[in-house]
Amino acid sequence: MNAREALRAGVREISANKFRSALSFTAVSVGVASLLYTLAQTQGMKQALERNLELMGPGRMTIEKKRDYVSKGLSGGLTYADAVALRRELPDLYMVDPRSSYSLTVHYGGRKLEGVDVAGTTPDFRKRDWVYTLRGRFLNEWDVANRARVAVLVQPAGWVKKPFWAKFWGREDDYDKFAARVDVLGQRVRIVDSVYTVVGVLTPPPRDLDPRWDSWSTPNAFVPITAFQQTFGKGDASADLVDEIRVETGDERTLAARRRQIEAILKRRHRGEEDFEIKDQREEIESEMENMRKYVKAGLALGIVALLAGGIGIMNVTLATIFARVREIGVRRAIGAGRDDILAQFLLEAAMLGAAGGLAGVGLGLGGVKWLSGLGGTRDLAQPTVLHCLGVVALASAVSAGFALVPAWRASRLDPVEALKAE
Amino acid sequence: MSAPAAITVENLARTYQGGYQALKGVTFSVAAGEFAAIMGPSGCGKSTLLNILGLLDRPTGGTYRLEGALTAGLGDAELTALRRARIGFVFQAFNLLPRLSALENVALPMAYAGAAVAPRLERARALLDRVGLGRKGEHTPLQLSGGERQRVGIARALANKPALLLADEPTGNLDSTSSAEILALFKELNAEGTTIVLVTHDPAIGASAQRVLRVKDGLLA
Repeated sequence: MNAREALRAGVREISANKFRSALSFTAVSVGVASLLYTLAQTQGMKQALERNLELMGPGRMTIEKKRDYVSKGLSGGLTYADAVALRRELPDLYMVDPRSSYSLTVHYGGRKLEGVDVAGTTPDFRKRDWVYTLRGRFLNEWDVANRARVAVLVQPAGWVKKPFWAKFWGREDDYDKFAARVDVLGQRVRIVDSVYTVVGVLTPPPRDLDPRWDSWSTPNAFVPITAFQQTFGKGDASADLVDEIRVETGDERTLAARRRQIEAILKRRHRGEEDFEIKDQREEIESEMENMRKYVKAGLALGIVALLAGGIGIMNVTLATIFARVREIGVRRAIGAGRDDILAQFLLEAAMLGAAGGLAGVGLGLGGVKWLSGLGGTRDLAQPTVLHCLGVVALASAVSAGFALVPAWRASRLDPVEALKAE
Repeated sequence: MSAPAAITVENLARTYQGGYQALKGVTFSVAAGEFAAIMGPSGCGKSTLLNILGLLDRPTGGTYRLEGALTAGLGDAELTALRRARIGFVFQAFNLLPRLSALENVALPMAYAGAAVAPRLERARALLDRVGLGRKGEHTPLQLSGGERQRVGIARALANKPALLLADEPTGNLDSTSSAEILALFKELNAEGTTIVLVTHDPAIGASAQRVLRVKDGLLA
């Protein structure tokens, strides 16, 4: 009996028992869909992690004010001067980027834009997490040294495919609307009451393609940190404060040592007060990934359980099929079928049922993944590869055939005389 | 006799688990080309005898030689191969597979024998022609009358050119007209050289057989 005929016979048997077959392959298809989703998520997470770590650099950390810390009055807080000191004392640091930001009012050509997120930063900003395309130029060392009133504005990111929730949550504020319509490169804008010249325009990648972990926190405009402090600071002792200092050692191996050195330098400069904390962003991302891996494992377990349940369903169906066809088995034996022919027949039917369930599951899974991706918020979902799809279908048929093994083997061992008497 | 007898049984016995003796020692032989009928009351062991002759069952005592070769000690796979190649079965209840067409039913034993599709279907068509159903190859068993189904059954039994055709009350489920047709077919096949052993209650068939083996209480009468 050749393969094509055997397959055709299998199809005939399966379609002759539609309800029974549908029942058993539903569970298989749910299992397969679940596995596929999990695979897509694992793949997506892996890609996201790799892209992130690459962008972020191997030795990234962020120095921030310690939350809820009450100063003893000794420390001046985290300042631009701290950043300058770090760069001076640890010259091999690849990046030292102090940053402050306020939500400010911007005036341009009679327009008044409220709530524009303006950040003071340094040229080091460019060294990591740089995903923008730049028109004009970015801030340079001269700007920072001379407190130049120059600004680099950020275009709204936009979407390749806007997810439905963005209609409700993705607030397009005054600035975004303005920046999308008006090209201000080379123009002057007034920020609060200081005039800045726009020397560059940054365009971030569309939101759904942005590889950054924290793409939502991109400011609307960058100015030199020194100019920022001079023009928007309060003019008192706190004027030199910064929100955070982003540091990159340039090498994962030096991360721990540099971290200890930075701690010592800042502690000394803050007169013993530990009013700052150093966050290892890689650690943060990796721990988040670890959390997600747990969910993925749960998804994997769910898929396997569903697949096993489907397998048991198929075992049941095979048993029922065999019970209903004992006489047929006797007849087949009498006209020349060997035990192996009977075994192969029922295993093949089960495998086909499993494969059908698997294909349905792939359809379900692909549809589901596409739908979830369309909803947005699941940018870590990779599209399942053809290999994944084939793999899960093969797995579904193998599991089904595996579960059918015992009933099919029993069928093959039936005494043909007894089998012929059945019914 | 130059050719060995198609069937030689000596002291053949079959005792079921629990001690029931269906056959208590039967000795006879059927020559190649013979047409033999096994007759006897219900429960006398006719079917058990036929199953043993068809290699579906094994005797618990005595010997069975098929075409001179001893069948004792053969494994299931060897018995299956022998049955497939040398024996054709015809059943009282026809036992066609309901989801296959007449043609596919006839071709099935050849499929198990490993024949390629094209020659298999060609021979199946020829066989259906031979039993007078050349035009009904695509019909399923449910679309055929009882007599037609049995013709398909006979065609299927002939698929692998068996030396021995075994039939278990082949006319038991048929009306007298169909029975007569089936009997005529058996006679023709026998005339062409096929050895036929059939179990029957039908005196008309018994009368057409060259030899009648009467079984009673597990023994030849």
